[in-house]
Amino acid sequence: MTRVRVTAPRQSATAAPGRSPYPREDSEDSDAGRLFIRSLIRSQLRLALVVACGFLIILAVLALFLVYGPGVAETRIAGIPLDWLVLGAGIYPVIGLSAWLYNRAAARNEARYRDLVEDK
Amino acid sequence: MNPAVGLFAFLAVSIATAAIGFYGLRISRTTGDFYVASRTVPPWWNASAIGGEYLSAASFLGVAGLILLSGTDALWFPVGYTAGYLMLLLFVAAPLRRSGAYTIPDFTEARLDSQLVRRVTSLMVVAVGWLYIVPQLHGAALAIRITTGLPSWVGSTAVVVVVCLTVAAGGMRSITFVQAFQYWLKLTALAVPVMFVLLVLAGNGTQPQAPLPVNPTGQGAAGAYQHISLLVALLFGTLGLPHVLVRFYTNPDGQSARRTTLIVLGLLSVFYLFPTLSGALGRMFAPELAQSGQADALVLLLPGKLVGGMAGDLLSALVVAGAFAAFLSTTCGLVVSLSGVISQDLFGGSVRGFRLAAVLAAVVPLGFALMTDTLALAGSVGLVFAFTASTICPLLLLGIWWRGLTDAGAIAGMLTGALLCGGAMVVGTLMGPGNAPAWLAQPAAWSVPAAFAVTVTVSIITKNRVPASVNRVMSRLHVPERPVATER
Repeated sequence: MTRVRVTAPRQSATAAPGRSPYPREDSEDSDAGRLFIRSLIRSQLRLALVVACGFLIILAVLALFLVYGPGVAETRIAGIPLDWLVLGAGIYPVIGLSAWLYNRAAARNEARYRDLVEDK
Repeated sequence: MNPAVGLFAFLAVSIATAAIGFYGLRISRTTGDFYVASRTVPPWWNASAIGGEYLSAASFLGVAGLILLSGTDALWFPVGYTAGYLMLLLFVAAPLRRSGAYTIPDFTEARLDSQLVRRVTSLMVVAVGWLYIVPQLHGAALAIRITTGLPSWVGSTAVVVVVCLTVAAGGMRSITFVQAFQYWLKLTALAVPVMFVLLVLAGNGTQPQAPLPVNPTGQGAAGAYQHISLLVALLFGTLGLPHVLVRFYTNPDGQSARRTTLIVLGLLSVFYLFPTLSGALGRMFAPELAQSGQADALVLLLPGKLVGGMAGDLLSALVVAGAFAAFLSTTCGLVVSLSGVISQDLFGGSVRGFRLAAVLAAVVPLGFALMTDTLALAGSVGLVFAFTASTICPLLLLGIWWRGLTDAGAIAGMLTGALLCGGAMVVGTLMGPGNAPAWLAQPAAWSVPAAFAVTVTVSIITKNRVPASVNRVMSRLHVPERPVATER
């Protein structure tokens, strides 16, 4: 086996073979292309903010409910106090669901962008 | 506990880790292999590896210990650790993968087109990494002391030696295998003993010694400020952790980076059920551990206490193995990402430089860990998250989503966050635990907004420094890769 001397590429890191590391040049050099990219970024940011805020609101409402909700301190389900059940297990499916919904919506935004660029 | 059990478990995990590391050496051929496993790791492997790397001493020992001490207040820690990944998915995962950079400093340099900002970011990354390695080594020291009776320094030193050997030998590709293996080991090591303990308790009808909702030390509940500040730190700290970010570069594209993160969320959610269960069992059946100051060792001591005999020894061995997997995997991950940064900035990026940097990245925190004393593990890791959230997080979030970010703004923001949060950490430590007021003990709630505010303000003032390449870089971050199927 031959020994090869290797050094690190710095900025020139490239994406996996077979895919273009850069998005289509034509789409970013025209005015319309720039507009599409801006609206893609804006819609992705809006989506991320909506999901993040939604999740945080659910979290805050849950926390307030567990502290101030009438009768929460005494409620037990199968012998486990309600606050333990909610914080220890019940909250995780909410996180997972938010993530799943986000992934679908983000992929849809990207598909819409691709359609726009290809139709041009 | 029988000292031989702990020693055997520790040796077995170390040998397995080193063996996978060396096996990986045979497939690591190029620098690309070394740094990012050539970006061809499938999502399931990658997700297990991310989980394995993320679940540190704080998660494996600290969470259960904290739940033993403070009950529902501590349940917010695993929630925050997991929800931090949600934030990472929403704001960082895909764009960062598409940036095509190897490390956070690479990303910053590409985005802001400045050598100075690169150097400041490197400093921050190294600081965060070192800060984060120290509690891992404290955890190792604690585990060795409790399980084998050997002096504490043996534990931390042994972890550093195994990590250095593994990282220097195999680099990132074998690390991916090591980490993935260690996630499943950690899950098994927590889940099997807890289930076994539950079965035994149900079988012989043991009555709880104490009710679940009452804190064994009589400690009062934390206030709203502490909860909010902790959540800010955990939610925004996760997306700036250097060892977490480097993992995303091993995904083939942005979409798969998102898929991987979703799987990670599932893996974390399943994992955290078990420290929670251990903590709850500890509160009910072994509350005396809280008084003796051994709360962090709860997970290690529980099987021996509640099951006992041969079965108890075997289960203890399994837990000790899992604990060392936790110390080793997080430290490995941190050392890999730190040596990536150090070797590129100091040693010109050769493989030999990577090995030298790995040793440097592990030995400095070892010195620090030997000089300092074990704090509550989950708490000290919480502070590292606060520091990351105040320094690297504003830079990443604004860099990815806001065209107006400038190098001056980024540097000013990072320094502000580092000074405020680091200052609060130092002053809080000097005042001693329990004496520092809440706003000093948990600085994230004000230091993170301050860092964001300074970054934005300085960037707006220095508007003329927005790099000319901003449009190109932004589109590279956000435009989806061309899917293979529609390649023309």
